[in-house]
Amino acid sequence: MNRKEFLSDCGKIGFAGVTLSLFPWLQSCSDKAKQEVKGEKARIGIIGTGSRGCFHIKHLVQMPNVEVVALCDNYRPHLEDAAQYYPKAKLYDDYRHLLEQRDVEGVIIATPLYLHAPMTLDALSAGKRVFCEKSMGYTLDECLEVYNKRKETNGVLFIGQQRLFDPKYIKAMSMIHEGKIGDVVGVRNYWYRNNNWRRDVPSPELERHINWRLYSEYSRGLMTELACHQLQNGSWALGMLPEQVMGSGHLVHWLKEDKRDVYDCVSAIFTYPNGVNMTFESIISNKHFGMGEQILGTNGTIDLVTGMYYSDEPAPKGSGMHQLIAQIESGVMSNSVFAGTSWAAESSPLAPGVPIMTNVKVVTGESTVGAEADGSRELLEAFIHATITGRQPEKVLEESYYATQFALLADKAMHENQILRLDEKYKIPYTPLK
Amino acid sequence: MAFEFEYSAKNPLYPVSYLKLRAMHSRLEIIWTGQAENQAQGLAQRVEQEMLAMEREFNRFSEKSPLAVLNLKAAMEDVSVGEDLFMALELSEAFRRGTRGYFDIATSTSCGKDMVSYTLNPKSHSVRFNAPEVTLDLGGFAKGFALERVSRMLSDEGVERALLNFGSSSISALGTHPYGEWWAVGVDHTKQHGIVAKEVRLKDSAMSVSGRNYKGEYHIVNPHTGASVAAEELILVEGRSALVCEVLSTALYAAPKTEREAIVSQYDGYRASEILCGDCGSVSIRKIG
Repeated sequence: MNRKEFLSDCGKIGFAGVTLSLFPWLQSCSDKAKQEVKGEKARIGIIGTGSRGCFHIKHLVQMPNVEVVALCDNYRPHLEDAAQYYPKAKLYDDYRHLLEQRDVEGVIIATPLYLHAPMTLDALSAGKRVFCEKSMGYTLDECLEVYNKRKETNGVLFIGQQRLFDPKYIKAMSMIHEGKIGDVVGVRNYWYRNNNWRRDVPSPELERHINWRLYSEYSRGLMTELACHQLQNGSWALGMLPEQVMGSGHLVHWLKEDKRDVYDCVSAIFTYPNGVNMTFESIISNKHFGMGEQILGTNGTIDLVTGMYYSDEPAPKGSGMHQLIAQIESGVMSNSVFAGTSWAAESSPLAPGVPIMTNVKVVTGESTVGAEADGSRELLEAFIHATITGRQPEKVLEESYYATQFALLADKAMHENQILRLDEKYKIPYTPLK
Repeated sequence: MAFEFEYSAKNPLYPVSYLKLRAMHSRLEIIWTGQAENQAQGLAQRVEQEMLAMEREFNRFSEKSPLAVLNLKAAMEDVSVGEDLFMALELSEAFRRGTRGYFDIATSTSCGKDMVSYTLNPKSHSVRFNAPEVTLDLGGFAKGFALERVSRMLSDEGVERALLNFGSSSISALGTHPYGEWWAVGVDHTKQHGIVAKEVRLKDSAMSVSGRNYKGEYHIVNPHTGASVAAEELILVEGRSALVCEVLSTALYAAPKTEREAIVSQYDGYRASEILCGDCGSVSIRKIG
């Protein structure tokens, strides 16, 4: 989706005014913001040009206000792949040298999790605007350090949480905050796949370099790679942060395959101060249910993945009998489809849902790299705008910070088999969506 | 009983009346033309009263209903019942025989499959169960019976054109659509809602559809085995009487395919089809008999 389509979609959902107050980071998507940077270019360096880095490159090449002037990866084949898109970009295998390049204004960091915080801290210290892939850091302390560094430098920092820019999520959250689904009484997230998450390795010594996700030395596994995206659904919908988290994780299936030590099966429950639970479950040895994100309200349910709303008290379908009345009134005849096996109550729990907006794009979550129309492009565009203006949008970092912190906390709860609360020292100023 | 009545005189040639009632765990809707508003409203109220009376009579879950009392006592003694219930039991027994036992209002019985669950005494209008643990359920009978009764009420009051829809599975027509030679009803495709699997043309006739319920559950039981029937196809029956259509569609669905033709052949003037809805909107229809 390009910016015009995005704006058009947002316009249809009543973008501006109320929406901006709820989602201030969308300011950069407005026409006014676009005019502000017209004719200007952001000079970008990309650190980490593997699969996710190249996913971003495919968006960046379509943006006329972007010039990629530097590329860095310590795995040569990845660097060479990226260089094909930007043959004039300078190439590095050490990100610190890239940060020394003066004409690099902003950097996109798409490296393994354990490098996110060190690289972000160095980039902010070097005065660069930073877009770092999620999750924000490998530990709770790292995330706090990164947050404080951003504040101290007054820099620009985006974390790769693209749902914040997906029109479908924006529309859904607007509906929720307008009370359309009633009181939120539950949040369900799940992400099921059936693949071993393993990438091909040309030689054994590259195993941990390329398959870093499988090793706890570099990764927090499913919580930071997948859950992090979904956990903000609860905070967004409820307008508050979780009070505690519990969880259970194990290596159940892929244990037989290799030497990984991250869980392939996790379940977590996040409890909010009002007693509402948000769940997250992920298993990567069964994909039947795919990816799901549902906000349960007293009036109905919004499925964030499919963009559908299911009322618990649906209005009766315009029955065929009413169509007949209209026909007779108009003096015409046509057939009416309404015969079938026993109709039950009008409030059938299986009543079909209604789309929350036109042109709903459904992302299945099956790709381990990224999907089209999942908000990633809009997120990048917002970062480019911030790189040019030097302005950090409100709230976007705080939303990302807490998504990461609660993912890390849940992972900790699983390993320690404890119910955990976020320590006060990790709490940052945060105004929830209301 | 939730009652909704609407009247439209937008078309002065054919003012339309509409009645919707919740009844017998389902929804009855009726459209008819040709009456003035106050006349139509009066008729609607009488229909409601009649439906209430039938529900009181036939609802086995209501403690004080004649059917509930019958279920409680008739294994031990002769129980006298009213005219409607007696007639319902007589008809049900006739249908049981006519459908080779695949329509049977006895939901649980310790009788053997070929034995009669109850004996009727026409002189005393009484009923006696022939074995302990017999329970009668008129759910598969009552809708069709109600449609017949209400159609007759409309007809008796001079209504010539009407369509009656009970739960979307049992539909009955008086006369024709004001602007056509029949009332056209489309059977909904089970996998692609909104697509017509089969169009039915009703003129002083009725239809009934049996199959999996709206939840996708197999809720029709084979009386011979006691097991739910797990057939994917719908059974559609068309003919003069809503009651016979209802009974036949239930029986044909419950019966093995090998016996369906023989059952239909017992009912002159009734047509039955198996409708199998496939993926991508495909439909396969096989006439039975």
